[in-house]
Amino acid sequence: MSHDKLSSMQIRRRTLLASMAAAGASAGLSTLGVSRAFAQEPEKPAEIIVRAWGGSWVDALKAGVSDSFTKATGIAVRHDLTEDNEIQPKVWAAVAQKRVPPIHVNWDTTTNATKSALRGVTEDLSDLPNLKDTTELAKPVGLDGYPIVNTYGYVYVLAYRPSAFPNGAPKSWKDLLDPKLKGRIALYNDGIGFHFPAQVAGGGKLEDIPGNMQPAWDFISKIKEQQPLLGEDPDFTTWFQKGEIDAACTISTNAREAKKNGIELAWVVPEEGAKFDTDGLWIPKGLPENELYWAKQYINHALTREAQQVWLDGLGLPGVVPGLTPPADLVDDPSYPVTEEAFEHLIRISSKVQVENESQWFAKFKEIMQG
Amino acid sequence: MRTPRAAYPVTWRVMDMLERLAAAVWPSSFQRGLPYLMLLPAIVLVGLLVLGLVQIGDTSLRVLDTSTFLMSEDYTLANYQRVLTENFFATVAGRSLMGSLIVTAITLLFAFPYAYLMVRTPSSALRKFLLVALFLPFFIGQVVRAYGWLIILGNQGMVNEALGLVGVPPMRLLYNYPAVLFGLVQYMLPFAVLMLAPALTAIPNELEAAAASLGAGWVRTFRYVVLPLSRPGLVGAGLVVVTLSLTDFAIPAILGGGTQDFIANAIYDQFFRTSDQGLGATLSLMLVAVGSILVGVVFMLFGAGTLAMGETRK
Repeated sequence: MSHDKLSSMQIRRRTLLASMAAAGASAGLSTLGVSRAFAQEPEKPAEIIVRAWGGSWVDALKAGVSDSFTKATGIAVRHDLTEDNEIQPKVWAAVAQKRVPPIHVNWDTTTNATKSALRGVTEDLSDLPNLKDTTELAKPVGLDGYPIVNTYGYVYVLAYRPSAFPNGAPKSWKDLLDPKLKGRIALYNDGIGFHFPAQVAGGGKLEDIPGNMQPAWDFISKIKEQQPLLGEDPDFTTWFQKGEIDAACTISTNAREAKKNGIELAWVVPEEGAKFDTDGLWIPKGLPENELYWAKQYINHALTREAQQVWLDGLGLPGVVPGLTPPADLVDDPSYPVTEEAFEHLIRISSKVQVENESQWFAKFKEIMQG
Repeated sequence: MRTPRAAYPVTWRVMDMLERLAAAVWPSSFQRGLPYLMLLPAIVLVGLLVLGLVQIGDTSLRVLDTSTFLMSEDYTLANYQRVLTENFFATVAGRSLMGSLIVTAITLLFAFPYAYLMVRTPSSALRKFLLVALFLPFFIGQVVRAYGWLIILGNQGMVNEALGLVGVPPMRLLYNYPAVLFGLVQYMLPFAVLMLAPALTAIPNELEAAAASLGAGWVRTFRYVVLPLSRPGLVGAGLVVVTLSLTDFAIPAILGGGTQDFIANAIYDQFFRTSDQGLGATLSLMLVAVGSILVGVVFMLFGAGTLAMGETRK
């Protein structure tokens, strides 16, 4: 399993580098004229509904993908801001009861989306024309075909307040054990993003995941003594802004957004590495044929270089289409990996392994933190 | 000779017609069934809840297959075994139960003098002020109120700023168990006062006056007259507060900083975070069971209080 994981990482890196080299060639491609993607166009719905995360996340999606899709097709895009884990049971129930699902496209974490794919509620997206222009990152690891299309990657960085680290940026996750940080650090409330680097920081090996994660639990037990706050994405921004914390394991996008809002903040990928994961788009089964067609067109459009560039400029994340230009503030930033060297410190575990073990990992993390 | 129309107005004719229609639909022999008919909406509502519980019971006996993310076809007690043996669930259940009892005791302690003053004060202005102060929080949702406490009690909040003025460094007032209990007490106080007020109103002023005229001081009057007679209100308020606290979600989530989960938070995690509906259903049923047992014990020890309505109170 670990071998597969490493192989996939190497393949992806190679593909990514090759794709970067081919950037010039792909730069000349058209934006996939959505209306020209398929030979015949079925009836257009008045709107399609895309589930999205709120705040800067939906703003970026709207600017990069939805607005240009509407311009090209005339189909309005409504963004449903129901939380990803709350829309999931609604979609599952709709498919099980053979009802029309409440959304056309789900913008989801790959881990969450993989659960839906394993359950068989996702449409196959293998026929999207623009997939041929994407890097290996677009393909979900451990699944057949394309029940999900990954659209970008992200890193769970160690974000910190520079004034709290007068001797320089933290180099290791172990720096969070500094007594002066007691009560001043934060993690996600299920430990997501922290399990794998904790495995390394605790003296274990990534190859032992999921078989032996005792080093991770040992390290997390030490972190617990630091009385960390546990929350969700918006909490980290609030806590940094309100002076409640000095360091956190969080997605780089949140840290960047907080910094944009004037919060003194920087981030690093510590020496043990940081979790690299992906988000993607998928379509639930049960849509009328014409709506399914236009939902696929939406995802196809999201894979164009133009849409990716604007969307991911907003998120500050590396996409799955070659030739994208990093935002000026993220050039050579470890949270925006584009080189093989940058990927060496990032940890990527297959979504299948994650979803099969996630429940136990969350429970164990909570048991430690809530005990 | 025909009776003039004016002697029997149209409205009467309509009423006659409606009466005949009502008699056809609901003959007088059915009159005894009328109260049961009026109960029908409540029975349907409770029936739906029972159906839901049956469904949850069924789900609780199935385990999640993480290779397909479908529930198992076979029944098993594995979820119950997990809930009863894993430390995490014991910790969360203990914290919820203990928290609800502490919150109930403190809330009743604060609510009683508030309700007493509100009912007994001769000042109409003061009574109105107390009523407004009581109802105002109802217009603000629980989540908003909890966020309000984040602003007030945060490291850069009003309280720490005030402490800073006298040289006290900022201290962590949030994201711990006392903060959750504090938030719950503040949330529950209006419920308790509203449950206590009718019980206190039902105690005649004359009884307190009589006790005083016989030489009882305020403390003795309170101890031997007011407190025993207000027991139905205390029991009713206690039951409402303990059950609402036990099942609360938002306050532990917001003021607990992710480290002070109650059972409802654990249920949410199972349903929505790990997609394990079987385990979530099991926790839900066990929460219902614990809450029902708790209420049953109170009923047995103290009666149903004001919740007994017309029934003879113990």
